[in-house]
Amino acid sequence: MPLLLVVGIFLLFPLANAVYFAFVDFDGLDPAPPWVGLGNFTELAQDRAVWAAFRNNVVWIIIGTVAPLAIGLWLALLVWGVERGGIFYRLAFFIPYVLPQVAVGIVWGWIYEPSRGWLNRVLNAVGLDGLATGWLGNPNTALYAVLFTAIWATFGFVFVIFLAALRNVDMELIDAALLDGANAFARVRYIILPQIMPVFIAVTTITLIGGFAVFDIVFVMTGGGPAGASEVLGTYAYSSAFGLNRISYGTTLALVITVMSIPFAVGLNRLQRRLSLEGGGA
Amino acid sequence: MSRQRRAAGLGRKPITWAHPILIAMSMLTLFPLVLTVSTALKTPQDVRVNPFGLFSSFSTDNLVTAWTVGRFGDYVANSFLLSVPSTLLVIVLSTMGGYAFARLPFRGRTTLFYLVVLGLLVPFFAYMIPLYFQLRSMQLLNSLIGVNLVLASTGLSFGTFFMRAFFAELPGEIEQAARVDGATELQIFLRVMLPLVTSGIGALAVFTFLQNWNNFLVPLLYIPSGEYRPLTTGLYLFMGGRTVDIGPLAAGTLITILPVVVLFIALQRQVTQGFLSGAVKG
Repeated sequence: MPLLLVVGIFLLFPLANAVYFAFVDFDGLDPAPPWVGLGNFTELAQDRAVWAAFRNNVVWIIIGTVAPLAIGLWLALLVWGVERGGIFYRLAFFIPYVLPQVAVGIVWGWIYEPSRGWLNRVLNAVGLDGLATGWLGNPNTALYAVLFTAIWATFGFVFVIFLAALRNVDMELIDAALLDGANAFARVRYIILPQIMPVFIAVTTITLIGGFAVFDIVFVMTGGGPAGASEVLGTYAYSSAFGLNRISYGTTLALVITVMSIPFAVGLNRLQRRLSLEGGGA
Repeated sequence: MSRQRRAAGLGRKPITWAHPILIAMSMLTLFPLVLTVSTALKTPQDVRVNPFGLFSSFSTDNLVTAWTVGRFGDYVANSFLLSVPSTLLVIVLSTMGGYAFARLPFRGRTTLFYLVVLGLLVPFFAYMIPLYFQLRSMQLLNSLIGVNLVLASTGLSFGTFFMRAFFAELPGEIEQAARVDGATELQIFLRVMLPLVTSGIGALAVFTFLQNWNNFLVPLLYIPSGEYRPLTTGLYLFMGGRTVDIGPLAAGTLITILPVVVLFIALQRQVTQGFLSGAVKG
């Protein structure tokens, strides 16, 4: 079957090769690279830049998962509760998600621009001059500025999924809760959330794994800088391999990231299956 | 379905204060697009004096510069050359593969299916580095065939997974009826089953096309010579150029996102539905 051929050659074979690369010291030229065993792994564990990037990934995973989920769910609930404009809002919120990340990065770069960018202009206009800064050039803000852009670009996806899931929510239960005097928060927490739980977990899995794999947007906006302040594991793997010709080192790092993300994916998938089997709605 | 007409929401009454919040959020998501259009369509002088002010003059000079001097005209053609064949390949192979995994009993079906969908778990950068050397030894660097095949392989895992879910839902009686009528296996697939999953194929086509059009890293890595460079990598390299001229850069950004935005608005329903079924099914 041609499907297996393409997947085999362009996914499985290079993946197997990646494992081989991790145990040798390959510089891109040497046809018979020396075997170094676990050398790449022990070096990774001692590399402070790796730990710094890892910390940034953790920040990214936590904020980059919680924020889009919260915003997406909240907006989906609001759109669900209005009579008009649903299609317009769906278009407006989802559009950032389909744009190429390079374009997104460039335009947000203008918004963050220190002297004439919109963010600082707005801050100045409302009298918060003190907060204005060179968002992408300041080591304290670079990571969060890029992360904010990423949230801008992904919450629409979460929103669309939740909006669809809400269609399956049992309205009778909500009416009953209203009669019992449950407030809006209680209705969301005890009636709506349990019914959309499988979808909730599916979306969490996708954003969580995306947090490990983040690359394009950081690469385009800051390249990991300034001075590694916004470096994530993906950009560090890239620059080790292609910037410093440390092919094996970069590959090893990429593999480690992958292995770390898999337990999350599998665990959340199991949880989702169990909830679906228990008949929790969707 | 007309029941969508009425707002559902947290109770029977529409949430009246939702619109101001939703409109504010729409402005936040749409503002970067407005900024791009406005900056791209200014006179070059105006860009120099007032780079990010909104709609303060009008000229197509920046577009012309980007199209000719910036080579964005070539990049548009290349983007099509890279995303159309790879999308077709994904459609054909995942439809066939999805059908086989859903409806044909063969040895090792489950194992092979897991191998194919492994790509959903493994981020591209886990194997991008060995793949570079593999393509180099296969003489497929800088070639349309090579890059199309890699782009296709990144979409095949999802495509197969997605199409399998569609085929699995079809009732078995249809298949048996066709078999009783003396249809061959190929006829059953092409004449009976395929027409029943056209909506799935359409959604997958739009989704895959957007992915391939937006892909940044694959062409950046595997077209080092710059031949067949698509819009995304073209835009990135243009941004990093020595003279960062914001006018043509904005025009290039506009050229890059315009096809995506037009396609998205035209096929809004299919795109969002595609994302929904992809995330919720299976």
